[in-house]
Amino acid sequence: MLSIVSSPSIRPYLLLAIVILLLAAVDFGHGRFLSLGTAYSALQSFSTFGLVALGLGLVMLIGEFDLSVAGVFGLAGCIALLTGPDHFWVGMLCAVGTGAAFGFGQGLLIVLLDLGSVPITLGGLLTATGIAYVITHNRAISSDNLDLAMTLNDPVVGLFSLRSLVALGIFVVAAAIFATTRLGRDLIATGSDRKAAIIAGVSVKKLLLGAFAFSGFMAAMGGAMLSYGLASATPSGLADVLVPAAAAAILGGVSLAGGSGTPLGIVAGILTLTVLRSGLNAVAAPPFAHDLATGLILFAVAVFDAPYLWRRWAALHIHFVYYQDK
Amino acid sequence: MLVARQLTKSFGQVEALREVSLSLAPGEIRGICGENGAGKSTLMKLLMGIIRPDGGTIEIDGQAQTIDSPQRAQQLGLAMVAQELSLAPHLSVLDNIWLGNRAVPLFHRRDKFRQRASEALRLLNVDYDLDRPVRTLTMGERQLVEIARLLVRDARILILDEPTATLSDVEIERILSALRALKAKGSSIFYVTHRLGEVFSVCDSVTVLRNGAHVATRPVSDIGRHDLIELMLGRSFEQMYPPPEPHKSTPQSLTVSNLHIPGAVFNFSVVAPRGEITCIAGQVGAGAVSVIRSLAGLVPEATGTIVLDGTMLPMGSVAKRVRRNVAFVSEDRGRDGLFRRNVLENVTAARLPEFTRAGLLSWAKLRHFGTEICRRVMLDTARLETSAFNLSGGNQQKLLFARAFGGKGPGVILINEPTRGVDVGARAEIYRLLREFCQMGYVLLMTSSDLEEVIGISDTVVTMYRGKAVNRYERSRIDMAAILADITHPTGVSRMAS
Amino acid sequence: MTTMRGIVLAALLVWAVLTPSFLSMPSLTALLTTASVIGCMAAGMTFITIGGNVMSFALGATAAASAFLFTALLNASGFAAAFAGSLVFGGLVTGIQGLVIGSLRANPIIISIAANILIYGAASWLTGNETIYAASTGTSQLLGGTIGGVPIEFLIFLAIITLGQTILSFTVFGRNLLLIGSGWTTAEATGLPIARTVFLSYVWAGVFAAISGVLLAIRYNQGNMALAVQYDYDAIAAVLVGGTPIQGGDGSMIRTLVGVLAISVIQVVLLLHGFEEEWRHLVTGLLVLLVVILYSGQRI
Repeated sequence: MLSIVSSPSIRPYLLLAIVILLLAAVDFGHGRFLSLGTAYSALQSFSTFGLVALGLGLVMLIGEFDLSVAGVFGLAGCIALLTGPDHFWVGMLCAVGTGAAFGFGQGLLIVLLDLGSVPITLGGLLTATGIAYVITHNRAISSDNLDLAMTLNDPVVGLFSLRSLVALGIFVVAAAIFATTRLGRDLIATGSDRKAAIIAGVSVKKLLLGAFAFSGFMAAMGGAMLSYGLASATPSGLADVLVPAAAAAILGGVSLAGGSGTPLGIVAGILTLTVLRSGLNAVAAPPFAHDLATGLILFAVAVFDAPYLWRRWAALHIHFVYYQDK
Repeated sequence: MLVARQLTKSFGQVEALREVSLSLAPGEIRGICGENGAGKSTLMKLLMGIIRPDGGTIEIDGQAQTIDSPQRAQQLGLAMVAQELSLAPHLSVLDNIWLGNRAVPLFHRRDKFRQRASEALRLLNVDYDLDRPVRTLTMGERQLVEIARLLVRDARILILDEPTATLSDVEIERILSALRALKAKGSSIFYVTHRLGEVFSVCDSVTVLRNGAHVATRPVSDIGRHDLIELMLGRSFEQMYPPPEPHKSTPQSLTVSNLHIPGAVFNFSVVAPRGEITCIAGQVGAGAVSVIRSLAGLVPEATGTIVLDGTMLPMGSVAKRVRRNVAFVSEDRGRDGLFRRNVLENVTAARLPEFTRAGLLSWAKLRHFGTEICRRVMLDTARLETSAFNLSGGNQQKLLFARAFGGKGPGVILINEPTRGVDVGARAEIYRLLREFCQMGYVLLMTSSDLEEVIGISDTVVTMYRGKAVNRYERSRIDMAAILADITHPTGVSRMAS
Repeated sequence: MTTMRGIVLAALLVWAVLTPSFLSMPSLTALLTTASVIGCMAAGMTFITIGGNVMSFALGATAAASAFLFTALLNASGFAAAFAGSLVFGGLVTGIQGLVIGSLRANPIIISIAANILIYGAASWLTGNETIYAASTGTSQLLGGTIGGVPIEFLIFLAIITLGQTILSFTVFGRNLLLIGSGWTTAEATGLPIARTVFLSYVWAGVFAAISGVLLAIRYNQGNMALAVQYDYDAIAAVLVGGTPIQGGDGSMIRTLVGVLAISVIQVVLLLHGFEEEWRHLVTGLLVLLVVILYSGQRI
């Protein structure tokens, strides 16, 4: 039983199932939770930080971390609205281009200088936020293109929207690439044991660069799409995306030590959080319930994954069981 | 086929390889021999592009080549089994066999790869489930997967760096016959090993390295086992190891009984008297290192009874050992031997509470104490403020021994590999230091994979094979051949078990 | 590195003094009060960073909650109880994280992120996201004043730095923290009390964060959860700019003091030179990147 719970390939789906079952049980007979509206709103928030979680999750899979996603997310939103207030594609292109370049630059510093990813991306986070403040002159910007915002968010078959369809599409592609190509295998090898991967002949440096560029790209895409969807952007207002994205990746079975995690698992991780959010809203739980639930789950996962948990347990076991028997 | 000229490589202040030249002919199997730290692994890593040489050239088929990455080496037809396994634990056996292989296209899920992997495993006479994650395999099984990876590489030059450390004789013979088959097909092989028997059974020629320099290259037919050992050692015993001096014999000792570590050490017992050096000899993976680590309190799943001078020492707690003056000298200084702080802080790390008054540290007393013990281990006291990581290997090792000084009464020093990465000059000093600790009445319990060191320094040797004790030899009965036989091919009924 | 740091600081100082009106009272006083709040949190963060646990994302939330608690207790039972209560609160909330991180080696970043969510969630549960105003201002307003032109908040910050540096330099706990940060596995093999030391480092971090919360409450005469948002980042920036490496195992409170002052001086000078507030963020970010890169060359 414990091995199933601790297996990163099963836990994400198990968690999601538990969350859905619990909410359905709480809501039993009211029909508020198991509704199209709840699913739609869960998918809307999925599209907001799902992409960020995918990029971040990939970076975590190879045993690194990317704090800068929050900064790039906000920056990309601002860039999109500034460069293409009326031209979606121009704005998108500028935003994701900047994001990918920013991520690549950080990757370059990490690879060339052999630095840890946490300090570099912390600097990157502050820098990206700083650039966002400067280009917006510390003001919220809004777009008059409300039609575009409507188009992006309008329900498609009641359940989806253009935004969530794009996000889901990206996940399908990512999952397919991950499962069928050498890339997925090499990413796992890099995160699993980097030295071994290098000796085996995996191009670890290229993978690192690619992962950070991808993470920047994804964060920028998520940020730009959200800004177009809201028809507004602020340099600081979007910065709280890091927490849910990291939480989603971890709940999705991506281990901070690297080597485990899949795009599908990340989907389950994000859905756990978004279903929780929408579901708690639907059953009219107070707003803090979602925070408390998320925080507790995340805390529990961190404790459960702690490398010394089993060690302490073994020590206690030997102390009390083995020596008592003697 | 391959010619290397004047290869040189230094790590910090340590010169690991000094102007080593050698060449390899097509279809030749070349044994590479030498003591620990002779530079064998460094040489192989240079050829494989894992590290870059400071000087020297490498030619392959008459063309000068720069091998700056393992990918480049693979392109040139080289493949290697490294000393430390290079498998990704999270990946399956199949994926690990093909990991990093240039022949694998982007879309890699193809039947022909499964078939070739199965064939390679069959050649080694094993039948692992190809989809099983490697982390569920034992070390020996992993080693065979690593060899299978080498077999599917289709390389012209193969490098095997001690590939048999954790394997049984049957498995080793299978690998050797696989190598002979490759040789017949025209591949050339570098075969690094400690086991001289393998050299004579599979190699055509042998190159001996010593202290980073090339000593000799001879055809195997021209050289005897004894000559080879002489070439590897190249110095006399007596200069290196101080003779044991008579000491007051005391009934006190460190007594370990029924030490058990699941999967690694089985029912191991040893008695280490005060004032003597007791050595557990075994090959890499035999469990000797784990015995010392568990006695140091670093293996939580270890069970057994440890009695020091008649009082129990509970398993597991390092802090309680520090209070009883038990020190541990790690086999890996960089990982759990040194702090990235200066020498003074390193030598006093475990004793800070002894230098406080009203809760505040007295730096003057601390510095005085640090200076004193550095002097005793012959460490330059002018370097108290130098970062420990900037010291040479020998000085770093002395620093670890310095921590054992102080406290109330003589203690215990548990040592894994007392002279790993230490140059010859400092080695002699460390051996003298060990004897000095004996004079003071310390218990010294150590392991070493360097057989010559084991024989030179020990008062008592306990041999170990696959997690179990084999025999115990007192000073007068210590004999290289017997010990070597014990740790590689234990035969007959163990005298200890009875 | 030390000489280079000196040169950079000297250049910064010259630049500041040469900037017209820098030395005039209002800008200096404003600088020092802002610096104090961030500074106390940065001093707390220094403990975490030195111990090898990178940073905490929950100190800002802890400070905000402490500000709230302080104001509430001030209204109910006076200054002393309010001050003590909020410090105990900060130490407790952060200490629990330290307990899990120290004894189980749980990931410090994830734990602090979880704690961040939990604190905001619990606060909005218990307070309903309201702002509480200080009813009487007596003692606490006194702390908002100045002595000889120097804001009392800044003197408190200096006292915190002195206390922190004393702990780091002259207590077994402080020395052990540096050793543990410089080599976790070595500390384990040497038998240092890792769990206890990491726990204590978080307790101190929480206490210092609570003090910065109290300073906020005094300055605004209120407590609310929006007070210290994003202060975590400003605090870690100050720690890094001061020269404490993020890998841990090295660093000091003095460096954090320098980092806090350097960032504040740059901010004021930029303002005086006509660059708006937004440039501060960019310059801080670039500065952190620069420091991190400079440190790469001197991995000991």
